[in-house]
Amino acid sequence: MKASTLRWLIVSILIALWEILPRAGLIPELFLPPLSVTLIAGFADAGEYGQALLVTLYEVGLSMLFACGGGILLGAVIGSLPRPRVLIMPMVSSLYAVPLVILYPVFTVWLGIGPESKIAFASIYGFLPTMLATAAGIQTIDPQLLLAARSMGATLSQRLVRVILPAAIPTVLSGLRVGGALVIVGVVVSEMLISSAGIGYLISRYRTILDSPHVFAGVLLVLAMAVAFNAAIRWIERKCAIWQTGTRGAQAAADDISGAIQPAT
Amino acid sequence: MSDRWTISLGRIAIVLALFALWETLSRFGVVNSRLLPSASDTFGTLADLLQRSSVRSDLAVTATEVLTAFALAVPFGGLIGFLIAENRYFADVVKPLLFFAFSIPKSIFLPMFILVFGVGFSQKVGFGFFSTIFIVIMSTATAVESVRVEYLTVARSYGATRAQTAWRVYLPSMLPVLLEALRISMIFNLTGVILAEMYASRDGIGHQIASWGENFQMKQLLAGVVMVAAIAIAFNEIIRWVETRCSHWRT
Repeated sequence: MKASTLRWLIVSILIALWEILPRAGLIPELFLPPLSVTLIAGFADAGEYGQALLVTLYEVGLSMLFACGGGILLGAVIGSLPRPRVLIMPMVSSLYAVPLVILYPVFTVWLGIGPESKIAFASIYGFLPTMLATAAGIQTIDPQLLLAARSMGATLSQRLVRVILPAAIPTVLSGLRVGGALVIVGVVVSEMLISSAGIGYLISRYRTILDSPHVFAGVLLVLAMAVAFNAAIRWIERKCAIWQTGTRGAQAAADDISGAIQPAT
Repeated sequence: MSDRWTISLGRIAIVLALFALWETLSRFGVVNSRLLPSASDTFGTLADLLQRSSVRSDLAVTATEVLTAFALAVPFGGLIGFLIAENRYFADVVKPLLFFAFSIPKSIFLPMFILVFGVGFSQKVGFGFFSTIFIVIMSTATAVESVRVEYLTVARSYGATRAQTAWRVYLPSMLPVLLEALRISMIFNLTGVILAEMYASRDGIGHQIASWGENFQMKQLLAGVVMVAAIAIAFNEIIRWVETRCSHWRT
């Protein structure tokens, strides 16, 4: 059998099992409500979920702006200056080992339980990996391109706009993918912990009243959000493919980076 | 050598400067010292907390959960990763599924673990396992794939037994990548367990930190954050140090 056929078979069997096992009573409905029940519960309260989705998307959007904007900018600066890079990068990657979730209570004390604390937390959560990925990717720019530009008398700003930025597009995109995924996680996690609105809050609230169909409807919604985000980045990557400098090394390096630094939890 | 000294001195200077900034901001009332207690106060509280038996037992609970989840996830994930690297067909079937599972946020499944396991030890271990297993699978597969085919051919043509190939070829070439994998898995594992503790728990250091936050006990909260951060960084650095020790084996 072809591998992809078998894969789709596995996926459809899993989805079918999701429906069949709880219906047959092999798994208690509290643990896993049937798929149809989950979807019906979700659609029945579509208004509530829609409002929560708006809140979450607003927080995700703002945090993404901070995390990815700041991360890409600082990563590009640090990555292209050799001395700060040697000094700071190892420190940043040790900092990456810290489970950042523990910072969320600090933000709730400082900023309250509204959207501000979520935006602050998710920005920090997405910031470090984006910065690491960008700084690592900036170094993969072919030095010969820079040498050629410099020997033809390009000024610093020309080198930046004409050489470094186009060559850095794949890197920036992989930074964006990593950072964006983390920002979504950060927002949802913080909503689940302490909050008064958003999808994470809905999931937590329905969990406390043991209403599992509604919990799973929320989970599905977050999954859809993550998948949609991934697809959007893919689409942009394809659109920008012409900009890539065509070195397979750069692409492989960019893949490596996004593979090495991936969404935590 | 002198270069390395300057670099480490520079790093120490940066860390000290950050702590000094923290201290002055709070001491001279630039920020409200009830919201940001000074660094010295925080470290004083930290020393005090470490004396308390309740905090120690919380640390022990968290450590047990983390180690159990790790001990379960590493062999299991390692086996699947090995299969993926060695069996082409299996890899073709499973890899895209794993990539998908890898890229979705795991934390939204936390409520499911509570519904299934209740609030307790197994819920945290389960969630820690779940958030670690995918990274273990991926990085073991990478580690096995990093073994050079030429070495295997040479070993086989000289008539090495299976055990010899495993011990003399696979292990030395995989070791640096494996250590890196262990380090990253541990980061994921620790994050998973602490998140699970913060979300719903009766004990553990994550639960303590969350409740200090809810009660606005800023000194204890910051001391807890510093404590967990220091433990995580220390573990990370130890593994990294072993990694550089082993790097002469890297092929």
